Amino acid sequence: MSGRPNKSMAPDVKEEQRVIVEPSDWELVRKCQTGDVGAFQELAAKYYQKVFMVILGILNHREDALEIAQETFYRAFRKIREFRGGSTFYTWLYRIAVNQCIDFQRRQRRAPAEVREAIDELLYERGEHGTDPYDALEGKEVMSRLLAALNDLTPDHKAVIVLRAVEGLSYKEISEILGCSEGTVMSRLHYARKKLQEKLAHFL
Amino acid sequence: MTMDCESVRRTLGAWLDGEVSEKESREIRAHVEACPSCRAERSRLERLQFVLRAALEEGASKVTFESFWHGIERRISQGRVRHREFWDWLRPVILPRRLAWVIPVTVVCVLAVLFAEQFFFGLGWGPRSNVAAVESIDGHGFNLALLRESETKTTVIWLFEDEEEDEPAPEAASTDASL
Repeated sequence: MSGRPNKSMAPDVKEEQRVIVEPSDWELVRKCQTGDVGAFQELAAKYYQKVFMVILGILNHREDALEIAQETFYRAFRKIREFRGGSTFYTWLYRIAVNQCIDFQRRQRRAPAEVREAIDELLYERGEHGTDPYDALEGKEVMSRLLAALNDLTPDHKAVIVLRAVEGLSYKEISEILGCSEGTVMSRLHYARKKLQEKLAHFL
Repeated sequence: MTMDCESVRRTLGAWLDGEVSEKESREIRAHVEACPSCRAERSRLERLQFVLRAALEEGASKVTFESFWHGIERRISQGRVRHREFWDWLRPVILPRRLAWVIPVTVVCVLAVLFAEQFFFGLGWGPRSNVAAVESIDGHGFNLALLRESETKTTVIWLFEDEEEDEPAPEAASTDASL
């Protein structure tokens, strides 16, 4: 692997979109720094789903993920005066989210059975809510196995694969969030994908 | 086909992520188009990415912003209450109501000490300057005058009678005296 990444070849590049989005983020951040809760609400509305998805991917438990996602935004609100725009707002936000997840997992070692229950609960809820959009892909089974397989990864491996899947972040952005090199991001992604593929061999 | 299957598979994920150089990208693309096995691997990786994203999106779709924001807003207001409670607790500790007189009394005491230096300049604090002071006592015709000068620490005492009124020194000194 050498040379600069070829963004033009990327299947799902979102750089242009980010460039458009960023200035308004900065304006909202500046308002938040003066204590404007309304501006923070706008930022939260924009990013809450993706932050929640990342946290759900790492924690694998909906209630905990919701709690940690809300705590992430609360901490971001408290610390927003320290944000100087050295990175993009969402990179900064994801860094808080991932750190929150890692701290949470250190505090609370969830037993595998509980994770299993959480997946079952999620699947049950999906069944209750009618049409399953992933039936064509044997959705329930794949999803169940995927979540279980994700749970076997370390938090660092989960974080890279989830950040890449949810937001399509570049390796550079992921490395900034996790505080590691781009090479480490690449090798962790390769390892995580390989593990997930092994676990889901019959479904992919 | 310049790359072998093993090296292509090692970089296939990075290629799909758009994280390889243009030259590598061309080589991988050429290999994948020609190799059914690597093409299948590419499909599996894309499918994995799709299923993972779909699973997480599905999990997140049931969370409405209203309920999510409510949890953040509750934390913000609780944080503000905690902050206010902390100050409400700290204020009486650093300034209890029954000791409210302490601050004005302290200010008065400090000012008094500073002013005292003007009168008792031998105490050794306050600004250093050469000050001369004259004190006199009228003793029914036998008078006593005292001149003190701070820089040279000189004290001059005059004893004189009323008849000597025309003596200029004590009179002149007494015009600047601080008694």
